[in-house]
Amino acid sequence: MNSSTIRVLYIDDEENNLNAFKAGFRRQYEIYTAISAAEGLKILENVIVHVIIADQKMPQTTGVEFFKSIVNTFPDPVRILLTGYTDIEALADAINHGDIYRYITKPWNDLELHNSIKNAYDAYKAKIDLREKIAELEKTNDELNRFIYSISHELRAPLVSAMGIVNVVKMENLFHSSGEYWGMIETCSNKLDYYIQKTLQYYKNNKLVHEKSPVDFKTIINELIELYSYSDKETHFTVDIIQDIPFYGDAFRIEVILGNLISNAIKYQKKEEKNKKVEIHIEVTKDIAEITISDNGMGILNEHLEKIFTQFFKSKTNHGSGLGLFIVKEALNKISGKISVSSNTIDGTTFKIIIPNVK
Amino acid sequence: MLNKPRKVMLIDDNEVDLKINSKIITISKLFDDIILCRSGEEGLSYLNQHVDNEAELPDFILLDIQMPEMDGFDFLEIYKKFPKSIKDKCLIAILSSTLDFGDIKKAEANPYVIKLLKKPLFPKELEEVLKKHFLM
Repeated sequence: MNSSTIRVLYIDDEENNLNAFKAGFRRQYEIYTAISAAEGLKILENVIVHVIIADQKMPQTTGVEFFKSIVNTFPDPVRILLTGYTDIEALADAINHGDIYRYITKPWNDLELHNSIKNAYDAYKAKIDLREKIAELEKTNDELNRFIYSISHELRAPLVSAMGIVNVVKMENLFHSSGEYWGMIETCSNKLDYYIQKTLQYYKNNKLVHEKSPVDFKTIINELIELYSYSDKETHFTVDIIQDIPFYGDAFRIEVILGNLISNAIKYQKKEEKNKKVEIHIEVTKDIAEITISDNGMGILNEHLEKIFTQFFKSKTNHGSGLGLFIVKEALNKISGKISVSSNTIDGTTFKIIIPNVK
Repeated sequence: MLNKPRKVMLIDDNEVDLKINSKIITISKLFDDIILCRSGEEGLSYLNQHVDNEAELPDFILLDIQMPEMDGFDFLEIYKKFPKSIKDKCLIAILSSTLDFGDIKKAEANPYVIKLLKKPLFPKELEEVLKKHFLM
């Protein structure tokens, strides 16, 4: 960095001091001087100054008063107060209300003042850099939000049209008219839709701030069962919910968690099982909701149990996306919930969840 | 309860969806007559034209959200100002592929929207909504 680009404004009512300062520092900095606060303000209005040094004891406006007066209009330049006597009160005032970076006693020592100006400039740079970084992040964040919005609309709309076409084909009894091709299109569309939905859930879970709203587990569970058993009427649900007191929590995340677990319980049934069943038990106390979801499905191999919550873990036999349980875990982390699982390939799987009641 | 619905109006800028959904409605025989509108403006001008002609008015409107220029919410803002006789007769359901939380909340909060249906449209879901409001 070329130090001659550092612009310093020095305000002092004594002409001699201004001259001495110029003489001592003009080689290192671009220097502006003013004989009064009013003159200083004029310079600030026309030049981008990095460091301001002001004498405290001046006739009309003191250094501290001047700094106070520009707190809102010129917040960026870093301020150094120069004073010939130690006035604790002025100093406290300066620090508390004038946003002062350094305090230097008169007569100044060239080296000390030089170092102070350099440090002040570094502080100025850091402040501006931080502001630019924040602006950059806000822009990225904005773009991400727009991207998520466009996934949920533009990307999904044509896919949903394709799914609609498959429905019409079924209604016109043409589904088996081209061998298994319609079925294959249906499978592919559903899979793509699933990935889009999970991706959105993942981003929303990461970005949304916590929301506290009343949660009625009976309503949520009934809606979710209706939604996910739409394509599978074979699975029998036993639901037992004890909620006598209000529960407050993050409704979106709780829905994501329960939705993924219920859809898994339906999806990973044993094909040959005659009596497919899922049991849901929920008990709400004033501190927590304890939720158990168990199925008599295909179960999870012991060696897989530790990996099921990691992103993109898929077992060879069950064609999952590797996203559902990962999202469950991420959402639980956000709302300080806990999950445990016990499973074997004979009896099926039981997930136990504890979510705090945030009242 | 309203009498069995005869006419349905589909408002959607997507040509493919208009075709699919009118096909689904025709096959499922839920309505006798379908009015196709490619924009909210078209829907409004149809309603304006037939304000005094009850026989031509739709009993039910399936409204898309995402449309260029006038979107579903803009449509509802103008619909709000129609005479009560029309608003009591033409019930509106949103039919959209949206997964956007904001859109869903906004649609559910609108007093003129009786249901938010998600694309693809399933005849059974549509029938269940109709059963709640019409004598079928």
